[in-house]
Amino acid sequence: MPFYENVFIARQDVSSAQVETLTDTLANLVTEHGGKVTKREYWGLRNLSYRIKKNRKGHYVLLNLDAPPAAVNELERNMRINEDVLRYLTVHVEALEEGPSAMMQARSRGEERERERSRRFDRDGRDGAPAEAEGGEA
Amino acid sequence: MSDDIRGGERGERGGGGRQQSRRPFFRRRKSCPFSGPHAPKIDYKDVKLLQRFVSERGKIVPSRISAVSTLKQRELAQAIKRARFLGLLPYSLR
Repeated sequence: MPFYENVFIARQDVSSAQVETLTDTLANLVTEHGGKVTKREYWGLRNLSYRIKKNRKGHYVLLNLDAPPAAVNELERNMRINEDVLRYLTVHVEALEEGPSAMMQARSRGEERERERSRRFDRDGRDGAPAEAEGGEA
Repeated sequence: MSDDIRGGERGERGGGGRQQSRRPFFRRRKSCPFSGPHAPKIDYKDVKLLQRFVSERGKIVPSRISAVSTLKQRELAQAIKRARFLGLLPYSLR
């Protein structure tokens, strides 16, 4: 079966729990049509670069699929019908990537930087003692 | 004798590598950022990477400026357009 990556954006005023159930139903749809969902990623509520259907933010979800084309057709049809889905993109890929995607890696790296910054702030609290050395010379 | 040797040295210096570096429009040859052993993979989900190849206005930077090879530029353009469609990158700014 061919591999696909599917990203869809859900409306901003939908709660993250509702997004979870929505992805569940969509994932079930794929498995019903003889496909497999190998990875699910929730990127969170992100700012859109421009307004899509009057929305400034959206919940991003990535699905990695190993499914027959018929299942993908059915999935896309349902996404078109569902009004909570602002947009979707399905891309055929040669191989599905293992582990977190670039988006998730960027997010975890951002958290690390936050931690580093707070550590530096703690360290800069003390003062050196250069005045003493000057006194010795005189 | 000593004069002869000095003369020879001077001649070599004039015609050697020094003059090349003094050429007015010398540019270092840039290499493609997506080729080589540690090259990053072009991926429409990697917004941070793609942003480096987009101008302040949100346009795709031409390969003659970014030094991306022709093949990789096509791949990159495709990735940027996908990211735009998903609202990860802007179509235009300002």
